[in-house]
Amino acid sequence: MRVFQKTNFNFIKHRRIAYIISCVLLVSGMVSLFTKGLNYGIDFKGGSEVVIRFDKPVDVGAVRAIISSAGVNGSVKQYGMDRSVLLRTDYHGETTNLKALITNSLTSRLQGNPAQILSIQAVGPSIAADMKMSAIKALAASLIGILLYVSIRFEFKFAAAGVIAIFHDVLTVLGLFSLLGGLFDFMPLEVDQSIIAAFLTIAGYSITDTVVVYDRIRERIRGQKPSDYERIFNESMNQTLSRTIITSGTVMISVIILFIFAGPAIRGFAFAMCAGILIGTYSSIFVAAPLVFDWQQRSNAPIKLRGGV
Amino acid sequence: MKNNSFKLILIAVVALVSVWSIWPTYRDQALTKKLASFHSSEDSLKYALDHRSEIEQAKEKSLKLGLDLRGGMHLVMEVDLFDLIEQKAWNKDANFYRIMANVRKTAVNSGDNVVELLAAEFKKENIRLSRYFYDIRNTDQEIIDKLNKESQDALVRAKEIIRNRIDQYGVAEPVIQTQGSRRIIIELSGVTDEARVRRLLKGTAKLEFRLVKEPELLLRAIERINLAQPPSTVQNAPADSAVAAAPVAGQATPAVKTSAPRKLSDVIGVMQNGLVFTPDYAHDYVASMLSREELRMLLPQDTELLLAAKPLKTEKGEKYYPIYLVQKTPELTGGVITEAKATFGADNAQPEVLMSMNEEGTSKWARITGANIGKQIAIVLDGSVYSAPVVQSRIPSGNSVINGISGLDEAKDLEIILKAGALPAPVRILEERTVGPSLGSDYIRAGLQSLLWGFTAVAVFMIFYYHKAGIAADLALVLNILIVISVLAGFSAALTLPGIAGIVLTMGMAVDANVLIYERVREELNEGKALRLAIDAGYNRAFSSILDSHVTTLAAAFLLYVYGIGPIQGFAVTLMIGTGASLFTAIVVTRVIFDLMLGGKFMTDKSFG
Repeated sequence: MRVFQKTNFNFIKHRRIAYIISCVLLVSGMVSLFTKGLNYGIDFKGGSEVVIRFDKPVDVGAVRAIISSAGVNGSVKQYGMDRSVLLRTDYHGETTNLKALITNSLTSRLQGNPAQILSIQAVGPSIAADMKMSAIKALAASLIGILLYVSIRFEFKFAAAGVIAIFHDVLTVLGLFSLLGGLFDFMPLEVDQSIIAAFLTIAGYSITDTVVVYDRIRERIRGQKPSDYERIFNESMNQTLSRTIITSGTVMISVIILFIFAGPAIRGFAFAMCAGILIGTYSSIFVAAPLVFDWQQRSNAPIKLRGGV
Repeated sequence: MKNNSFKLILIAVVALVSVWSIWPTYRDQALTKKLASFHSSEDSLKYALDHRSEIEQAKEKSLKLGLDLRGGMHLVMEVDLFDLIEQKAWNKDANFYRIMANVRKTAVNSGDNVVELLAAEFKKENIRLSRYFYDIRNTDQEIIDKLNKESQDALVRAKEIIRNRIDQYGVAEPVIQTQGSRRIIIELSGVTDEARVRRLLKGTAKLEFRLVKEPELLLRAIERINLAQPPSTVQNAPADSAVAAAPVAGQATPAVKTSAPRKLSDVIGVMQNGLVFTPDYAHDYVASMLSREELRMLLPQDTELLLAAKPLKTEKGEKYYPIYLVQKTPELTGGVITEAKATFGADNAQPEVLMSMNEEGTSKWARITGANIGKQIAIVLDGSVYSAPVVQSRIPSGNSVINGISGLDEAKDLEIILKAGALPAPVRILEERTVGPSLGSDYIRAGLQSLLWGFTAVAVFMIFYYHKAGIAADLALVLNILIVISVLAGFSAALTLPGIAGIVLTMGMAVDANVLIYERVREELNEGKALRLAIDAGYNRAFSSILDSHVTTLAAAFLLYVYGIGPIQGFAVTLMIGTGASLFTAIVVTRVIFDLMLGGKFMTDKSFG
């Protein structure tokens, strides 16, 4: 069975369309980021999260009213599919007190539907600040690492284009998180540590896809004249199309399985990975290589590549 | 073919080691099920005793589940180095407190070394550190070094004391580690009573024996406090302006700018027998007021007002807390306690903790009790008075008792805390994550389902798209997963839910390497190469791409491991192991399988789909 084997799309000629699509995605994402902002989890914002499970189905609004009348300010949302709610609050007292407040108010007002506290997570402000710093450091370090690595293997233009592609991927996914955050109850899309994990994984993965294309370009470009570059780029991108799509496809399969089966704790991560892989594949083909091509056209220097087969 | 037999042996060895590594986990599960299947507890006990060593060994080498899968507590605690530093200082004046307040503020936002921040702040004010610390002749740098060393010592001591307490409490395999210059990370699995554990960990256990001042002094102090308050409170002041009104230490006027809803005099009462008290509902308010600087200045030299630790009840059942005026300098501290025992008192009704002292403590205690017969000596633990018995006679034995304890649990906890020793400085809980066991088993179920379906989906796809070659890829995938689990079990790394997600992700990424090779082989076959040559070319050409992809994923996972906290590290670990293993399985294992199949003439041009 074959897919995408003998394609002959003219990627380079139509690269403007891809640029426009990317810009639209990015701009709408940025606008949403600056206006609506991101839905930060307690990892970065601090506060407490409590998962409560009821024996019988319960109305989330009723629970919300009970809890706020107990003096606990926060949001109550449906959590998962099985009679559980997630309470998010920036309660600053002792967790024991919080637990007592919740259990007391629920048992007295919701008799006949016993509630069980499944988990409590409380993150103080200094830890939250730390995690933010760690996340930024990790992302920055990975981008610099990738820049260096690809520069050594190929050439600086290629490395820079690859890093720009990753920036594009991460920002677009962040924009998606901002746009869709809080819209769906089964997928709250909070930004916490697992999302940073997704970004790092996407970064590592996106550059792989890009490198596959670069590899093929490098193979074909040895000793060719700059006037042939457009044809060579196009051919390389077409030839690697099947490979790129299938490898992304297999990872997508496992990520979709995670999205469906792994429960609400992992769902945000799975969504980020899904979106990241789709956009990463798109950017490897439609952003990274065309950028290199444009850069080369502007600078008019022939491409000198190191290493490779 | 010599190459091949080496590779075959290597693969066989890896497979066997993996299975051997995973065997204890399987055994552990089987034994647990067997034990649960017995109908009576004597039968299961007998079985457990008979096979004890086997059960223990299986448990020890079995795959460890992370906190989120097993249930338990994860705590990050921080040693309050400021308290420690303030203790070490002498000649403290208003200036000192002001500078310390500034340093505290800056320290919240920066993770920098506390001592460095302190030194920088003092330098800004142009004051030499030796004015407040150690010897007047020490240079600033010497003092910084000494303070640094004290901080490190304090952190290590705090960690040991906490470990001691947890060991005595009895938790299986606790994880206690220091992080940075002032943090301690604690992981306790299977803990159900988190409130108790929290109390156990936070209590400083600063035990002090302090003289109680005569009742007239107490009454006079209370009067002075009542007079010092303005006659009318500010009307309609919002609750949080009380916080804003906390005056800067060093202000000369003791006028308490209280916009709090009550006056202190409203909530402090005097009973007929001279006992000063405050009712239960005002306890926190009074506690915060008593710690205010201007209030302290109204008291006689070297005295302090302390609240009782436990409330008493009137006949009507109303709760109230006695207040004591005690000497600030303790007569004796907890360092002299050698032994503590929780037990029931003479009347067998109330639990109490008996304590005995070392030589130095015993002689001092004899002297103190001898000199204060008829007076009260307060037993103060962490700033609260547990009891203030009247000294009946000189105590030469070095024994003393803490009563006023509400339950045997609390007595036992006090015993643990006193025996383990006092923390050098207070510790705060910065982060706390508790997962109940039922959520844990939910997660396990979700994780197993993801693994199962993930494997099935990927395996089916590979066979569907690449036919016979897909089977080879699937076999390699099985080995891959075995390797990941066995490495986790072998290194006693814990498996978390994100870790399971990492394994599922690895499954998708592992077959990528195969896809790269197979696509290449298809290309070579299309160009007309012979099967064997096509396979060779496929592996050779694809190798650099495979290497690139694995290196970048490994690097990203490694960064995540370094910078991540908690279960997310589990994800990083499984991703790293999975990626490394897939390098091996994709390149070596499938190659060997193909060689074997080629040799046995099982493959044709159509085998790659």
